[in-house]
Amino acid sequence: MLATITVDDEKCNDPLSCRKCLLICPTHVLGLGTDVGPQKFRETDPSHFILRGVRFDKCTGCMDCVEVCPQNAIQVSF
Amino acid sequence: MCVWCDQFAAGYERWYFNPANYARRLYKIRKEAAEALGAEANPQEAGGMAILGREFLEARERNDYEAMERMKREAEQVSWGTHFGQVITLDEALKVTDIIYPISLMTCACRRSMVGLPDEENFTCMGMGPGMYKWERWPDTYRGGVHFLTPDEAKEALTKLNKRGLVQTIATFGTPYLAGLCNCDYPDCGFIRTVLDFGVRVLWRGHYVAKVDPELCNGCANCVARCQFRALSFAPTRNKAYIDEFQCFGCGLCATECDQEAITLVERASLPSLANVW
Repeated sequence: MLATITVDDEKCNDPLSCRKCLLICPTHVLGLGTDVGPQKFRETDPSHFILRGVRFDKCTGCMDCVEVCPQNAIQVSF
Repeated sequence: MCVWCDQFAAGYERWYFNPANYARRLYKIRKEAAEALGAEANPQEAGGMAILGREFLEARERNDYEAMERMKREAEQVSWGTHFGQVITLDEALKVTDIIYPISLMTCACRRSMVGLPDEENFTCMGMGPGMYKWERWPDTYRGGVHFLTPDEAKEALTKLNKRGLVQTIATFGTPYLAGLCNCDYPDCGFIRTVLDFGVRVLWRGHYVAKVDPELCNGCANCVARCQFRALSFAPTRNKAYIDEFQCFGCGLCATECDQEAITLVERASLPSLANVW
């Protein structure tokens, strides 16, 4: 069964410097990107970095990411 | 036969020893070629996020092989035209440093995406060629800066990264233009992850296959942790390393770690059953 992972981007406002969930996930399910795409000549503002579930097939449902998130921004359901 | 050598080696032993593939096309022409394939030609687009989305995983869940094959084929076509890699050995990577200048050490986009690795810990990627002079155009990819290396410094860096356990791969940015010399591992390299988890060939096997000499192997198992491709294991029955040669990508990481010289690299083309396994 594939996990559904939702992230509240309002709460998760600087995942690049926080990255607690990225480090704790035992199977590296999560990924980091931006909601503005790559930008020429401009560094992306930290607020535009977004965290997403990517490799859902590897999610065991352990909920470590949900628990580690200081903003309670991640939800995992099956 | 390696189809890339077939198309792009032009008489050189390998396609990545052909200097033309490092200087073949100027940026603008490449951009048009890549866009014709339906892909945005920028270096970040090819970063660490998955090449296939949730719909592929859902098709796999419901055993919809037809949909999987279609998505796989589409992803491979885009990748092979724009950005894909091939495993090379350390010796081959060292040889590349004498073909193209400049080579620079930079931060890895895959690892930034996969684990948000801070720039100071993330200097595992190498960019080659004139693109490095204008890398600052993409500030997010340029994070941490770019360190230009002399050919000797590049050799030293590659040797250290290999010692650390990272696989050398060479990557196109608008095929056959070669501009990436990556140092990869599972699970944080997008190429290795995609080819192993999904069987989508964004990373091609190298020109060699590793082979254990059971007479010379003393069972120390130092090689076992080096394999990033799930090809090498330790067989307690015989107290020897065991390599599944059909799974081997030919990077040679096991061989460079073996004190007994018990692991040798055999030309893939010399083995009838493996000559076409890429």
